Amino acid sequence: MGRPAHRIESRRVIEAKELEIAPKTHNFFSHGILAEAVSLLKKDLLAEIRTRVAICAVGVFAFSALLLIGLATASLKDTQTISTLSGISRPAWDATSKMSLLWVLLCFAAFAGLAHTFVHEEEAGTVLALRMNAAPESIYFGKFAFNMILLSGVAVCVTPVYVLLTQMPTGSIGLFVLLMGSGCFGLAGTATIIGAIAAKAGGSGALFGAIGLPLLVVFLMLLMNASSTLFTVDAAPVRCVRDIGGLLSYGILIAAVSVLTFKFVWED
Amino acid sequence: MIQSQVSVIFNAVSHRYGGREVFTGVNASVQSGQTAVVSGSNGSGKSTLLKIAAGLLSAKSGDVDIHIDGRLCNQMERRRDIGYLSPDLSLYGELTAAENLQFFANMQGIHLTKIDLTHTLTKVGLQGRGRDLVRAYSSGMRQRLKYAYALLGNPRILLLDEPTANLDTAGVELVENIVAEHTRRADGCLTILATNEPREMNWGDQHIVLKAAE
Repeated sequence: MGRPAHRIESRRVIEAKELEIAPKTHNFFSHGILAEAVSLLKKDLLAEIRTRVAICAVGVFAFSALLLIGLATASLKDTQTISTLSGISRPAWDATSKMSLLWVLLCFAAFAGLAHTFVHEEEAGTVLALRMNAAPESIYFGKFAFNMILLSGVAVCVTPVYVLLTQMPTGSIGLFVLLMGSGCFGLAGTATIIGAIAAKAGGSGALFGAIGLPLLVVFLMLLMNASSTLFTVDAAPVRCVRDIGGLLSYGILIAAVSVLTFKFVWED
Repeated sequence: MIQSQVSVIFNAVSHRYGGREVFTGVNASVQSGQTAVVSGSNGSGKSTLLKIAAGLLSAKSGDVDIHIDGRLCNQMERRRDIGYLSPDLSLYGELTAAENLQFFANMQGIHLTKIDLTHTLTKVGLQGRGRDLVRAYSSGMRQRLKYAYALLGNPRILLLDEPTANLDTAGVELVENIVAEHTRRADGCLTILATNEPREMNWGDQHIVLKAAE
């Protein structure tokens, strides 16, 4: 097998500068997880602004669900129901039920859109380049931040409309905002890790739901507890801390466990 | 004489997908200043071997040791010194070429100025196309952009899977020059190609021939 001409003609050693294409200015790892995560977040936001895939998926679902809820519940506003056991009359659709439905809406909206962040990377074949260039923790934080921004945006748009449509009380505004923020944090964290697992397993939407169910059941139970506390008049501060703090803690726990285990999901 | 500063050593590397063995017991050593060509029939595991070398896949048995300046690099460390290009690797279609390079430069901690960007794109024959979305690129232009990506940060090791796929004659010459220049760099570099193209096989100093497992 003959040797190529360029080897025979020239044996000169080429200086590194001759080939130089933007030398690295600092160490890959000392560059930092935060900087990598911010770069990934900026890239995802720019791509999302251009393609609007996740925004459309989440937005269309959220607003069609809102419309349906508005139409379906219009007749329930002043209806009273009497418990067969206690005989006590109470509103057919109380504040906690309204809050539950809001979170059902946000959960489905999140799962409709947030899974795309990883599935798209797998489908587009960009996952290899991403894995070559960033630590798994950076990827998780970047994607989590993107999901959090998207979900918070949806919650900010949807919640006021929902409150107006259903006349849902908000209780203490501060606690309400804290509950919504904690809920979005937990939901974004859960959707991010489940999205990564589902994308790795072939991006099946059914799989996304199946894997997500165990995590979501606990999350929704905590959310309902916190909502119930929010709407309890004169709830003891210790109960507020326990229930709303519990919800926030669950979100932090999910995020922390996800960061620790993400490497095993992300790497083959 | 180039001193051996980088080496890639395959130690009895074996891999299987499910129950199907792809290759077993691959032993080879590639040193600075060398170009190795991995060849073999379809399904013999050329791309898989390169992915294992890049740290993107774990071998089922055996390992690939990468020494850089006398230091053995782990799976994560080696990636900073590897430029990897493959048909399985895509860049972001919804971003422009310049944005893609800027993004990956940021991820690697490289400060990429506009001049650097222009120089990089010119080097791979994409001058004046930096503002175009990658999804509007032809397959050949995407392959050229992958070279710009793979060469970001002057990696010491180039792993090229089907290096001239989709390229025209000028593109093939460009790749030949890149491989030749890279391998002869003074700071000690090496290239490993996975190909079955006769022309590309001639670029190699040594050959690793994979046989499809039965």
